[in-house]
Amino acid sequence: MTRERALILIALLAILGAVAWSARPHDPTPAERVDRITSELRCVTCQGLSVKDSPAASARQMRDLVVQRIAEGRSDDEIRDEFRASYGDWVLLSPPVSSWTGLIWLVPLVALVAGLAVAIGRVRPATSSVAAPSARELAALRERVAREEALDLPQTDGAE
Amino acid sequence: MTPSFADLGTATLRAALPLAIWGIGAAAYAAAKRDGRALASARWSALIVFVLVVLAALAMVGALVTHDFSILYVARNNALETPLFFTVISLWAALEGSILLWTAILAGATAYVAWRGTPALPRLGTTALAVLFTMVTFFLLLVTTPAADPFARSEIVPLNGNGPNPLLQNHPLMGLHPPLLYLGYVLFSVPFAYAIASLILGEGGDRWLVTTRRFALVSWALLGVGIVAGSWWSYAVLGWGGYWAWDPVENAAIMPWLVATAYLHSVMVEEKRRLLRSWNLSLVIATFALTILGTFLTRSGVVNSVHAFTQSAIGPLLLGYLVAIVVLSVGLLLWRMPTLRDASAVGAPLSREAIFLFQNVVFVAATLTVLLGTLYPLIAEALSGAQLSIGRPYFDRVEVPLALALLFLMGIGPQLPWHGASRATLERQFTAPIVAAAAGALLAVATGLGGAFAVLTYALAAFVAATVVQEFARGIRARRTLHGESAGTAFANLLRRSGRRYGGYVVHLGIVLVAVAVATSQSKTVEIERTLRAGDRFDVAGYTVSFNGLRDVKEPQRDLLVADLAITGNGADERLRPALVFFPHATQAVGSPGISAGLRDDVYTILIAYDTSAQTWATIRVLVIPLVSWLWLGGAVVGLGAVIAALPQPKRREALRPLAEAPATVGD
Amino acid sequence: MQRWLRLSIVVGITALVVVLMLAFRRDPHDIRTGTVNKPAAAFTLDRLDGAARVALADHSGKVVVLNFFASWCIPCKEENPALVRVWERYRSSDVVVIGILYQDSLESGRRYVRDNGVTWPTLTDEDGRIAFAYGVFGIPETYFIGPDGIIAGRHIGPIDEATLVAAIDGLRPKAAR
Repeated sequence: MTRERALILIALLAILGAVAWSARPHDPTPAERVDRITSELRCVTCQGLSVKDSPAASARQMRDLVVQRIAEGRSDDEIRDEFRASYGDWVLLSPPVSSWTGLIWLVPLVALVAGLAVAIGRVRPATSSVAAPSARELAALRERVAREEALDLPQTDGAE
Repeated sequence: MTPSFADLGTATLRAALPLAIWGIGAAAYAAAKRDGRALASARWSALIVFVLVVLAALAMVGALVTHDFSILYVARNNALETPLFFTVISLWAALEGSILLWTAILAGATAYVAWRGTPALPRLGTTALAVLFTMVTFFLLLVTTPAADPFARSEIVPLNGNGPNPLLQNHPLMGLHPPLLYLGYVLFSVPFAYAIASLILGEGGDRWLVTTRRFALVSWALLGVGIVAGSWWSYAVLGWGGYWAWDPVENAAIMPWLVATAYLHSVMVEEKRRLLRSWNLSLVIATFALTILGTFLTRSGVVNSVHAFTQSAIGPLLLGYLVAIVVLSVGLLLWRMPTLRDASAVGAPLSREAIFLFQNVVFVAATLTVLLGTLYPLIAEALSGAQLSIGRPYFDRVEVPLALALLFLMGIGPQLPWHGASRATLERQFTAPIVAAAAGALLAVATGLGGAFAVLTYALAAFVAATVVQEFARGIRARRTLHGESAGTAFANLLRRSGRRYGGYVVHLGIVLVAVAVATSQSKTVEIERTLRAGDRFDVAGYTVSFNGLRDVKEPQRDLLVADLAITGNGADERLRPALVFFPHATQAVGSPGISAGLRDDVYTILIAYDTSAQTWATIRVLVIPLVSWLWLGGAVVGLGAVIAALPQPKRREALRPLAEAPATVGD
Repeated sequence: MQRWLRLSIVVGITALVVVLMLAFRRDPHDIRTGTVNKPAAAFTLDRLDGAARVALADHSGKVVVLNFFASWCIPCKEENPALVRVWERYRSSDVVVIGILYQDSLESGRRYVRDNGVTWPTLTDEDGRIAFAYGVFGIPETYFIGPDGIIAGRHIGPIDEATLVAAIDGLRPKAAR
């Protein structure tokens, strides 16, 4: 294995390790639960801010209620449902995946996959393989590239 | 009766309208019959229309400054006590004035194309001019009819006006953000007009995008900087501690910007290899349509947001305009589709043109996601009556992976040659950047950055930065070998002579700064809320916050309740004054944050609540937000890179050092 | 492939336009809540004037008009005369008006009550829990609770006398039975 390939392999493993380490599952602390729930609840007197972000008095009171419910041992879903009972799905900033409104989660995935499929379909590798250039041809090519880079041949610029 | 500013404004706008209509005819005739006199007539129409609309805008400013409350717009958006600066900028504080500003910029662009764009490419430019005149006519119709007439009078002249919306007179940035945004939006009309002209004339060729390249770049840069300015305003003025909330109006601005970014890159493929023609036409049409959609979403009140001032008649009109544009341009595109077929195929998957194709797909997917997320509540309600919200949690979760994919493409794209790369090339090009990526990932873990996405962002940011440094190093080495320049001179010359390429790399570095800023600030912000009495203090993230009491401050147009804070620790020593601002006509106070900005952290303080009876205590929220300044820095770097890329290049040819003296491995 | 592409573009754009046009039917201020037609949340709250605490259950069997207000709310002041007239008309019968102070200090609330001639019981909801339980978006908001304890309807924004009377009369026959 060449030196470059070894380095690349080690580097990729390091990145994978770092990502896996940071993504390791852990039980959320109560404070983290409060943050997560309040970031998904909509502040009812604001324009679209979450309860977590908003400095409004109503948002702070909602947060206090969430803190109390967590201390009482309620689950995340129960707390969200309590607010849903009063305000409807409108109060959730992220549509629940379960109901039909959850369709919105599929859209970006479908768009991306469909687009990539179309794009990859258009990318056709070269049908003929060209023989590798000899060392002299390579040197001449390099010279030419260097010249052209240095000269900065103008792009196809029209008048402005 | 002495003519007033209102009379001047009304007269100039009503004079401009028939001239604009004349311009459509003159330009169309000139293009069809190659008639020089008709062209001259169209040119002068364009110039006069521009002068007239500018006069109307100046008349509005005059009316605002002289507090002419007989004009409805002035009565609603100005008051006697409003300071001069905010009086002047309330030209764009609300609907009618904004449309007037839009019209003025559009008229300016039309005049520019009339005088500078037509000589080079007579038929194409003149047809584009006709398209632009049509757009100007539409907007002039808006401002001369009750839909958006800025000079509409009221019968009762109030003694004092309402003053601008409190949120719009809290910070001087209001002077910058809307004009930048509007310039960005409106200037896209020019590439669009040329694209439509090219479709009408059936010139499947590529001249239209070469001619408008600089216009597109400048619009993109202005729009991007305008969005960053809006972000900064949201951060420094709205007082919630964040800079982006996926608010419908924020989305309305970012959608055209995303598609425009894809367009700027995709045109390179057309220039180099004459591919992706239909993509480029579609992208420029989509960009322009999204600017109109954005205006529609902002102005029609259809979606609740900070910017939705009123629900007025302008909504249906803008919607109609949008529909007309989309139907006509898509119709033209589909009609000419056969002539736009690419001559060859994209080729290898690991080639620059393939990467650009992929980035087109990802940018469009990202834009579609934002569009659907913004409109989904409307769709759901129209179809089933259900009311739901789509906010930050959804957008963050969906857009972040797409953004990371784009970061990745941004790193590999410039490094891959056209037509494809061999494995040896790949190994050579990418070893150092991948090692840098690993370093970035490990740095992220070491500094305690939480979350897989943040770590990935650091890795990809390091990757891109390394590729940019690599490119600069190669370029400098090439110049040193070929011209004997010092490193510094070589660097400067790279920017000057290959501005398009190396300016682009500078833009990429700016984006890297923004990505790192977002990942760090989202992942490591510390937030604490405390209720304090005068003399209390507490510690947060290495800083000590001391509260020294509340005091009242009276200003001509507003009253403030200020909390005096002192921030020390970590090298900071600053007094901050978060406040609650009371405007005479508002029922609730507006928060004004106290911010200590730094390269490493911002200390962001908000006065949340206070003792209303005796002012003995106050509730203060403190956020320590790391690296958020890098966001604004990154935005500035992006702007700088765009300037470098847009500057015309020196034509002087340079002498080369004889190649015999050069080592054989030049450019390696 | 071309036809498929063209068709999807046309369909997509038509759908977008239809949605945007439908959007005009929607009033951005009209947000419905989930508590209408559900049992009214029980509460026991302190009175602003310090008298004995009031519970919703105290008034079961009567029509309850629950009005959320605050001293800083200008539309509340505007709707107040209508409430006063309605209270005068129905106070001796099976209808009770209860005001709940929202996001305001006790002192300011008491001052508002004194200055605006509010004579029906006014209560304080210090931690906002009752407002949340009813689904209050902002004030003024008025809820109509039937004698059966179900929320029959609600009104967002300043209310006028005609709407109040219509809603109350719609619920009263149930009480008389």
